[in-house]
Amino acid sequence: MALLETRSLSKSFGGLKAVSGVDLKVQPGTVHGLIGPNGSGKSTFFNLVTGVYQPDPGSHIEFNGNDITYLQAHGIAALGMARTFQLLRLFSEMTVLENVMVGNHCKTSYGIVESLLGTSRVRHADQKMKEEMLDLLEFIGLANFADIPAGELSGGQRRLLALGRAIAMKPKLLLLDEPGAGLSPVNVDKLMETILALKGRYKLTVVVVEHILKVVMSTCETISVLDHGQKIAEGPPEMIKDDHAVIEAYLGRELPDEEIRNAIRGQ
Amino acid sequence: MISFITNFTSAIDSLAKVHRLLPWLIAYVLLLFLPNLITATFGEYYVDLANRCCLFILLAVGLNIVKGFCGQVTVGHIGLYAIGAVTSALLAQNYGMPFWLSAPLAILVTCFAGLVVGLPSVRLEGAYLALATLGLGESVRIMIAVTPALGSSTGIMMIPAPTIGNYVIESFDHYFYLVMTAAIIGIYFSFVILNSSTGRAFKAIREDVIAASVSGINVPFYKLLAFVISAIYAGLAGALFAHMPPGYLHHNNFTVIEMVTLLLMVVLGGIGNIWGGVVGAIVVTVIYDQTKDYYFYQPLIFGITMVFLVVFMPRGIGGVIEQAIVKRKFIEKHEEQNLGTS
Repeated sequence: MALLETRSLSKSFGGLKAVSGVDLKVQPGTVHGLIGPNGSGKSTFFNLVTGVYQPDPGSHIEFNGNDITYLQAHGIAALGMARTFQLLRLFSEMTVLENVMVGNHCKTSYGIVESLLGTSRVRHADQKMKEEMLDLLEFIGLANFADIPAGELSGGQRRLLALGRAIAMKPKLLLLDEPGAGLSPVNVDKLMETILALKGRYKLTVVVVEHILKVVMSTCETISVLDHGQKIAEGPPEMIKDDHAVIEAYLGRELPDEEIRNAIRGQ
Repeated sequence: MISFITNFTSAIDSLAKVHRLLPWLIAYVLLLFLPNLITATFGEYYVDLANRCCLFILLAVGLNIVKGFCGQVTVGHIGLYAIGAVTSALLAQNYGMPFWLSAPLAILVTCFAGLVVGLPSVRLEGAYLALATLGLGESVRIMIAVTPALGSSTGIMMIPAPTIGNYVIESFDHYFYLVMTAAIIGIYFSFVILNSSTGRAFKAIREDVIAASVSGINVPFYKLLAFVISAIYAGLAGALFAHMPPGYLHHNNFTVIEMVTLLLMVVLGGIGNIWGGVVGAIVVTVIYDQTKDYYFYQPLIFGITMVFLVVFMPRGIGGVIEQAIVKRKFIEKHEEQNLGTS
């Protein structure tokens, strides 16, 4: 059974169909790539699945056996779905440690009234959680920066922290929105290694949106391609590489020589 | 200055290691001598001023929770203070309730009012939220000003002072023990809240609403919770204000000017910084009182101060000190590491 399944998922903004009729299945334990040119609806797809946007009527999203089509973002997060953002959206005035602790919010073991009274149970639970989160920071290599505000980290460290905050939710499914954007090729490789290590350590299923095709081709088991809000291809990387529709979406259509000559002459 | 503060905080930290409440208890015991000290050096009037400082500390700390932690710009806080004050005063006067019953009931009523003031925050942000809450806060004052049962233009007089058994707490220095206890407890709980999952949820909402919601935080719920918690502080401060000698309250105590003064305390002290809010409340209340003779210029000076603060010191006194401490700690840590490696 698929971990995440969308059926005829659609979203329009006014007249623009950002995503239209996308059927997608993510198998548990895999790394699933989602690619497509700019404006093809990848980010909108993520926003729909995580509840940031409400999908259009007729759409259906199922996650781990639950219907989450019209759930709010925090409800979906509580079911075990985590995501990162293209623009990171870190809590920049909070410390690095606090950032990952917010990620762990759903796993808080005490009630709200207790948290307001500061009972000993709260203090113990927070202490335990802090240790756990420091352990996570150690794993992604940010333990030395635990007490400084997230806004003071370097670009690469911020990307790691965004990843750490999502992992802190102990999710079943992790959605990564362009994790490698703005990184040098060496750092992208390092980041992908970290992601795969985290996937193994926390038994994750990963969906990744990425523009760097080399990364997608080497790490994903299945790739879905979106163009103009529609899914135009799906399959293992070898198949996607040679797919005509995909090449056309990325590079344009290859025309016979004669047609090009005519076009130049203006006929 | 900074090194004095770091030494001071580390001394407090080592006290807290013995028991986490120890520094609070020591502070409390020391403050018990304050009224005598003030009366001996300045005179009894200044004990009354200290009482008002404590009330404004409660208000500022409460406002800091909703504005500083949760990032919701509210200008209706003074309206909640008014509701707390009037409710407690009327319950005591009309139904003969003792302070210990009327105050909790007043806090309860203020909580509901806080919920109402908070409702616009679910939809509105920033300046729009400020406008909506300003309207609510000001309408409370106008209601009080025009309703004879709520005091109208004469105000509510002869509000009974709190009693313990046969003893009536009606002198300034004895009332100080009451408001000071409330202020200390208020400050303590605002630290508890800040360091819990709830406090982190508030701060996450302040930083980024969307990132907070996909991290599993129920944003509308926590926004309303912040308003309700701040309403508890405002209600308590209001009730304490109503019963404070000489037991008189008037709607002029709850004007927009008062609200701006309250905002100035929080901004001067440092938005989101608890001790900053406390220091801001004391500084502004004392300056406000000592410059009463120039009351005509007060709003002008305060307004200009506010603008300069926002432009040149957006984090306030507390923020500047906090940053210096963090920087120093970071440098010390690095020096230690360098020593360790070399």
